Amino acid sequence: MKVSLNWIKDFVRLPDDADMKKLAYDLTMSTVEVEDVEELERRYENIVVGEIKEVLPHPNADKLRICRTDVGGEVKDIVCGGSNLEPGMKVVVACPGALVRWHGEGEPVEIKNAKLRGVESFGMICAAVEIGMEDLFPATDDHEIVDLSAFDAPAGTPIAEALDLCDYILEIDNKSMTNRPDLWGHYGIAREIAALYDLPLEPIPAADVSCDTPFDVRILDEERCPRYIGSRIEGLSVKPSPFKMQTRLWRVGLRPINALVDVTNYVMLAVGQPTHAFDATHIKDHIEVRRAADGEALGLLNDKELKLSSDDLVIADAEGAVALAGVMGGAKDSVLPDTTSVILEVANFESRGVRRTALRYDNRTESSSRYEKAIDPERCDAALSMALSIFRELYPEMKITAYSDKYPTKLVKKEIDVPLEWLDRRLGMRIPKEIVERKLGTMGFEVTYTDDTMHVVVPTWRSTGDVGIKADIMEEVARMYGYENFEASEITTSFDGAINQLDRDLVRRIKEYLAFRCDMQEIFTYPWMSDEFVAALTPSTDGILALSTPPSPTEKYLRSSLLPNICRAIVKNEHSFDAFDIFEDAKVFLDRDYTNEYPHESLPKQERHLGLAFVGRPENAERLFRRAKGVVGSMPRYTHMEGYTFERVEKPYWADEVAWLNICLDGKKIGDMGLLSRKAAVGCGIKVLTAVLVELDLDSLVPFKSRTNRFERVSDFPENTFDISFLIDSDAKWADIHDAIIGKKAEGDLLREVLFVDEYKGRQIPAGKKSVTVRLVIGSDEKTLTGDEIESVASGVMRKITHKLNADVRTK
Amino acid sequence: MKDVLQKIKAEAIEALSSRDADLEAIRIKYLGKKGELTGVLRGMGQLSPEERPKIGQLANEVRSEIEELLRKKKEEYELRAFGISPDFDYTLPGDEVPSGGLHPITQMCYDLNDAFRSMGFEIFGGPEITSEYYAFDNLNFPPNHPARESMDTYWLEGHDSGSASDKLCLRPHLTGDSVRYMATHKPPYRFVYPGHVYRNETTDARHERAFFQYEALIVDKDFTFTAGKVMIKSILSKVFGRDVPVRMRAGFFPFVEPGFEIDMGCLVCGGKGCSVCKHVGWIEIMPGGTPHPNVLRAAGLDPDEYTGFYVNIGLDRLVMMRYGVDDVRLFHGTDLKFLKQFH
Repeated sequence: MKVSLNWIKDFVRLPDDADMKKLAYDLTMSTVEVEDVEELERRYENIVVGEIKEVLPHPNADKLRICRTDVGGEVKDIVCGGSNLEPGMKVVVACPGALVRWHGEGEPVEIKNAKLRGVESFGMICAAVEIGMEDLFPATDDHEIVDLSAFDAPAGTPIAEALDLCDYILEIDNKSMTNRPDLWGHYGIAREIAALYDLPLEPIPAADVSCDTPFDVRILDEERCPRYIGSRIEGLSVKPSPFKMQTRLWRVGLRPINALVDVTNYVMLAVGQPTHAFDATHIKDHIEVRRAADGEALGLLNDKELKLSSDDLVIADAEGAVALAGVMGGAKDSVLPDTTSVILEVANFESRGVRRTALRYDNRTESSSRYEKAIDPERCDAALSMALSIFRELYPEMKITAYSDKYPTKLVKKEIDVPLEWLDRRLGMRIPKEIVERKLGTMGFEVTYTDDTMHVVVPTWRSTGDVGIKADIMEEVARMYGYENFEASEITTSFDGAINQLDRDLVRRIKEYLAFRCDMQEIFTYPWMSDEFVAALTPSTDGILALSTPPSPTEKYLRSSLLPNICRAIVKNEHSFDAFDIFEDAKVFLDRDYTNEYPHESLPKQERHLGLAFVGRPENAERLFRRAKGVVGSMPRYTHMEGYTFERVEKPYWADEVAWLNICLDGKKIGDMGLLSRKAAVGCGIKVLTAVLVELDLDSLVPFKSRTNRFERVSDFPENTFDISFLIDSDAKWADIHDAIIGKKAEGDLLREVLFVDEYKGRQIPAGKKSVTVRLVIGSDEKTLTGDEIESVASGVMRKITHKLNADVRTK
Repeated sequence: MKDVLQKIKAEAIEALSSRDADLEAIRIKYLGKKGELTGVLRGMGQLSPEERPKIGQLANEVRSEIEELLRKKKEEYELRAFGISPDFDYTLPGDEVPSGGLHPITQMCYDLNDAFRSMGFEIFGGPEITSEYYAFDNLNFPPNHPARESMDTYWLEGHDSGSASDKLCLRPHLTGDSVRYMATHKPPYRFVYPGHVYRNETTDARHERAFFQYEALIVDKDFTFTAGKVMIKSILSKVFGRDVPVRMRAGFFPFVEPGFEIDMGCLVCGGKGCSVCKHVGWIEIMPGGTPHPNVLRAAGLDPDEYTGFYVNIGLDRLVMMRYGVDDVRLFHGTDLKFLKQFH
C-alpha cells in the first residue's frame, strides 16, 4: 500500500522537518514494514512549467515545430512534434538533466541539448506518458502534449510544485499488515505515528446526516452484512474532481475518474472503509442485501459477466443484483456519465464471505482486500461523514433526500484484564504506567485499574479479531515502547541431562559416511513423482497417494519410493558426467497402515528412506554392482549400527534378473539393491549410462548405543599371503568357493582368511569357465612360519580347490 | 708422467661432474687396485730419484683430490631421496580426493543443529503428510485463513474434505510439529525441528514449491522475548563465525503473540547497505515470537504459567545469502555441477 505523507499530515501534525528515514525505520520497527520511501519531487528534477510564446515551423520536418518557450526568465527554442501546440499554452518542459521515458517506453533517459533535424532544441516538451502522468492527464491522441494552461503556476515553476507533488510516498509491505484492518487507510497509519511520537491525532468531524425520509434498506443476511447505510443524495453531476484530490489519488497509485467515483475512492484511502455510489435512478424501490440465487447473472464494472453462487452476497434492488457486496459494483447501475443523484453505500460485510467471493471469480479489488481483513462496522460513520463533507464542498447544492442506517447488532468492544505483575514478568521490566496509558490511549484503548490489574477496553477498530487477549496488550505496549529499548535479558534454563538421540546421530553418520568416505553427493528432490518414472519403476500405482492439486498433471503421485526421482536426477546428469554416485535421505508415503501416533489425526505410512545410485558406463556394470555392495555392506561397521545381511528374497521390480539383492535385518527385508533393467532404464529415459540402485528403510536401522569396535591383540609374528588362480565354471559363486576353501574354522588354524582378488573371463579362458584369483592369509600366533609350513597350507587349499570345487589350479 | 697424472685428474673430475655418476665405478677405475692411478704409481720405478718424490707427491695430491670429490659426491647423494628423478615436475596437480558431499542445505542444517545442541536443544521431526488439525487448527489459524486454501497447500486426493482430522496435506510449515512434540514430552521444552515443507506456488528464482525450514522452540516458565534475541544472536554468531547483529521488529504470525520479524545485519556489506540487503543493511531472515496462548493450550499447557520463544528460519534463504546463490530452484534441481561447489 502506498501512503502519502502529506495526507498523513491531515490527521497528525508531524514536524515539518520530520526525518523520513527515521519515520520509516520507526514504523518498520513498531508497526509495518516500510519497504521504500520516495521523495516524489526527485522524479521531476529539472522539469518545469513552460509557456509557449510562439510556434514556428521546422525548416526540415513537416510534423515538427519550433516552440519559443518561456522556461522562467529565459525564452528557449524547443523542437516538438505535439499535435496541440498553441502560443500562450502552458506546457511541461523537461530541461537538460531531467529524466523522461521516451514515448513512455523503456528506461528513463536523461535529456540533453540536442539538434533535431538540424535545429538546436533546449530540452523537450513532454507528453503525459513521458513523465508517467498518463492517468493524471489522459491524452486523446498519441502526439498530445500536457496542457497546463489551467494552472496558476508561472513559467519556470518546478513541475512538482505546480502539480502539488512535493510529497513523500511510503511503500508499505501489504503482507506485514494482513492482521491489521485498521491500517488500510491513511488515518490508521496516522494513528500509529501519533502513538509512536506522542502527537495528538485529529478527529474526523462528524457530518450532519439528518434527513426525515427513510431509505428502504433491507438486510436479509445479517451475519454477512452487519451494517448498511444507504443515503440518497441529489444535486450532483459527473465532473472531474478538484486537481488536489486527483493528484492525491494518483500519488498513491489510483487513477482519477470523476468526482463521484473519486470521492468514494478518496474516502476508502483515507479511512480504510470502502464505499460505493449507485446511480439513484437505476435503483428500483429499495436496496436489499441478500445471498445471490444460484446462477443469478451480474455484469461487473470491469466488464466481467458472472453467474453467481448462493454463497455470494449481493446488493440488489427490487429487480435484481446491482453489486457484488464488498467486491465490485455492477456495470449498469453504478455512476454513469449522466448521473445526477446517487445512492451512497457505506456498509460492513463479513470478511470471510467477501474473500470467498473475490477468490471465486478471481476478482480481488481494493475493496475486497480491505473487507477480508475484517473491518469494524463502526468505521462506517467516519467514512460517511468524510464523504458527505466532501460532496457538500464539491456540490454546494446537494441534498440528502433519504437515509437509513441499518445496524442490528452493535459490535461489542473487547475487554481485557491484564495483571500488572504478569505484564512486568513477560516484558522483563516495568514500563512506567503513564507511558503505558499514553501509548494505549493514543491508539484508542481505554485503560483503568483495579488494584494490580489493568482493565483495557479495546477500540472497535481493533476488536474484530486483531486484539483479544492479554498477550496482545503486552505486544501493543512493547512495540510502542520500542523493542530496541528493552535490555537484553539472560537466558536461564535448567540442565536436564545430555541430549542423546541415537537415531538422529545415526542418520547423520550414514550421510557423512556416504559423502565423505564413499565419495557420494547428496541430492534433494521433490516429493511428487513424474508419471513416466512411476511407470518405469513401480508395478502399479496401487497404494500410492496422490495430490488433488498437483504441480503439474503428470506429477500427481507422491513418492512411494525414492528411486523414481533419483532416476530423474540420473537423466539430468548423465550427459555431464561419465560416472557419479548420488544419494538422498527423504520420506516416502504409502496409502496404508494408517496410525494415530498423535491425538486427533490418523496418518498414512511415512517411512524415512535412503536411496542410492551408482551410475556409470554399461561396460562397468559389474564393477558398479560390487561398489554398491561394498558401500552398503560396510555401512554398519563404519556408522556403528546393527549389521544386516544380503539375501535373495524377492527381486525388485525394476532390477536385472541376476544382479540384485535384498537387504535383511533380523529376517525382515529392509531394502533392495539391483542393477536397473533395460526396460526400466528406457522407461526412465536414461540413455547413455546405467545404474545400480539401492533403497533402504532408515527407520529400521538400529544404532549402537555408543561407538562399538572390537579389539584384537595384533600377532607378534608376520602374516603371509599366498595367491592362487584357478579355472572354474563361469557360474560358480564366490560364496560357495569361499566356504569350500575355508571350511569349518578352528582355533589355531593357520589359514586365517580367504580373500577375493579378481575374476576374469575372456581371452585365453575356455568358454564356460572363468579364472578366479584368491588370496590366502596364513599365519600363527605362536611362531614365524617357515616356507614349508606356508607351502603346506597352500597345497591343502589347492587340493580342496581341485577336488571339492572341481576346478583347475593355474598358477600359484 | 706428470701429464698422465693431470689427465687422470681431469678425467676423474669430468666423470664425477655428471649428476648421477657411478661413484663405485669411478673409485675402482681411478683409485682401485687395478686403477689408473695405481698403475701410474707402479711405473714410478722407472723414474729418476729426483723425479720420484715430486711425482709421488703429485700422485698423492691427485688421489686425495679424487677421494675428496668422491666423498662430497656421496654426501650429495645421501641428501637425495629414493625413487625420484631429477626432472620430477613438482608443479603437476595433486591427486583428486573424493569429492562427495552433503547438500548445502543439509550442511546449514547441521551447522544449526550443532549450535542449538550446544545450547541444550533436542532435535525433533514430524510427519511430512499431516492432518489439517496439526497444520492449521491447533496453530491458531482462523478457519478461513488464506493459507488453508488449496492455492497455497497441497491437499491429498481423497483426503481433501471433511473435518480437520480427516483432511490431509503435505505440511505447509513445520509448526504443527511443535505441538506434536509438546504433546508427547514434559515441559520445559527446548527443541528444534527442521524439515521439508511444501507450498502450492508458482515458482521463480525466489519461490519454490519445496523448501526447507528450521524451527526452534523454547518453552519455560519465564522466558522473555529479549532472552530470545540473545539466543538468536548467539546461534547466528556461532554458525557464521563472527558477531552478527540482530534486530527484532513488529511482525505478525498466527501462532505467536507478540510476533516479530527478526533481521540480521547484512553479512555481505557489514550493514553499510548493498544490493543483497536492498541497501538497508539488514536482511529479514526469520519470523519469531512468543508462542500464542492457543498454541500452548493445544499442547496442554497453561499459557499463564508458561511462555517461551519461537523462531522459524528459512534454510534455503539463509544458504542463498551465505553463498550468494541467486535461484532457490537450484536446491531441488539435482544438478551435480551446482551441488559439488559446497563443502
